[in-house]
Amino acid sequence: MSQKRHRLVPETFGLKRRRERGPVEADPLRGELGSARAAVAELVQLFPRGLFEDALPPIALRSQVYSLVPDRTVADRQLKELQEQGEIRIVQLGFDLDAHGIIFTEDYRTRVLKACDGRPYAGAVQKFLASVLPACGDLSFQQDQMTQTFGFRDPEITQLVNAGVLTVRDAGSWWLAVPGAGRFIKYFVKGRHAVLGMVRKAKYRELLLSELLGRRAPAAVRLGLAYHVHDLIGAQLVDCVSTTSGTLLRLPET
Amino acid sequence: MLGFLSARQAGLDDPLRFRRAESTRRNHPDVHKYSVETVQWYPHDTGMFTSSSFDKTLKVWDTNTLQTADVFNFEETVYSHHMSPVATKHCLVAVGTRGPKVQLCDLKSGSCSHILQGHRQEILSVSWSPRYEYILATASADSRVKLWDVRRASGCLITLDQHNGKKSQAVESANTAHNGKVNGLCFTSDGLHLLTVGTDDRMRLWNSSNGENTLVNYGKVCNDSRKGLKFTVSCGCSSEFVFVPYGSTIAVYTIYSGEQITMLKGHYKSVDCCVFQSNFQELYSGSRDCNILAWVPSLYEAVPEDDETTTKSQLNPAFEDAWSSSDEDG
Repeated sequence: MSQKRHRLVPETFGLKRRRERGPVEADPLRGELGSARAAVAELVQLFPRGLFEDALPPIALRSQVYSLVPDRTVADRQLKELQEQGEIRIVQLGFDLDAHGIIFTEDYRTRVLKACDGRPYAGAVQKFLASVLPACGDLSFQQDQMTQTFGFRDPEITQLVNAGVLTVRDAGSWWLAVPGAGRFIKYFVKGRHAVLGMVRKAKYRELLLSELLGRRAPAAVRLGLAYHVHDLIGAQLVDCVSTTSGTLLRLPET
Repeated sequence: MLGFLSARQAGLDDPLRFRRAESTRRNHPDVHKYSVETVQWYPHDTGMFTSSSFDKTLKVWDTNTLQTADVFNFEETVYSHHMSPVATKHCLVAVGTRGPKVQLCDLKSGSCSHILQGHRQEILSVSWSPRYEYILATASADSRVKLWDVRRASGCLITLDQHNGKKSQAVESANTAHNGKVNGLCFTSDGLHLLTVGTDDRMRLWNSSNGENTLVNYGKVCNDSRKGLKFTVSCGCSSEFVFVPYGSTIAVYTIYSGEQITMLKGHYKSVDCCVFQSNFQELYSGSRDCNILAWVPSLYEAVPEDDETTTKSQLNPAFEDAWSSSDEDG
């Protein structure tokens, strides 16, 4: 009797007994253990730096972290800790309110400084990076916070918006942004749509992960198939079914 | 709208077949003209219940005579109403309508002049806290969830912020609880946490005392309801569950860890509402396919012991009798 006690919850709701997993095979994308930090470090390796001539810091997405760290609550909490310690910045990517980009703070700082070099707004940006970034780890900034706590005047805030470091959110509040990220977002949205299209056109609207990765990427996919597949899995735009031949990606019914 | 209008008859062979006890017929003079959105028993006894509908009224019914005792009229369609389950000092019914003001109707005096202002669009769901009788949570289509103390004149206590940004007064206007309309609200049974669902397909768990997002992630909780979504939490289980209508199934999650336990499949069309009965530990769900289903937890059978010898010794020798039941023994 005692060996059944710990399965009380699934028994009550009639879940089928889960088969014991064998040794995890070398599945290229799944089966990563460990923390959110390791996941982010691995994901920034997938980012194609050369495509943007190194002007953009490597951006990983929160949904990609979910595909590597299976428990979402734990992933969120660890990302929040990293954000509070100042190691990463979370940035609102404009196309979807839910999509957050994760960037290492050091990368962000170096790229932004390089991007604003020699421009008229360089002074305001440097002041922003020196005073506001270390102090406030949030995604967004408010009017009174900027003027009173950090001593920015309205023309300086306008310069920050022109530099691309801040994006308007509402009257008197701004999102933190990455300068020059427009191209990345355009490639990302097109690439996501293209990879989803590959799964949609397959017979029965499902594809084995290994086969998807082995295919040639269509021209619209500039960021790499692996980058997009992580994002699709984590954002639950495809269902992951584990089969005897590996992971299967299937479009959800609705 | 699930109240317990169907009575459970004890002694039926199949206890899961409900019998409709009473219903107001279509030609009842006081019947609602459009769809009834919310029904709730009076929290302290079953002599009275309230119903609110798209016909811009809230009706208070006497259960024994099935006549309306009182009618409150509003200017806009009523999406949801709620009476506090723990209130002893007031009899306020909070009403969420298509207008941005939350109205509080007093059952004792019949007035509905108390208004809570702060939302900018229609109020899709209201819920009183089961812990404090003056705390009310409201959810609106402007993506905001506000916690109010109805005794205060000056406005809401907290506007929930999904990003857990720094708190300051001027900030409140930009805080959003979800990235779309907030459809449903449910306090946990101890009132310490609040669950919200929104049309951004997310469900969030909040600490109701300081308004902090606990960051528990339930994954994608599909929500394409344009009205309020009535979901419920369990009460009395060792790890509490939340039951959310998810298309034509009901998704069951553990509240504090965010893990999806199962999906209850049984309805043919989209499920609109579900309610949990803690005395029987059963879940009742109503759907567009005109069915109400009762979900009963399956009791697991005792596993027989591995060694057979123990069974014999369980019988106390004092109760063993000397006569045998076979006929041939003299």
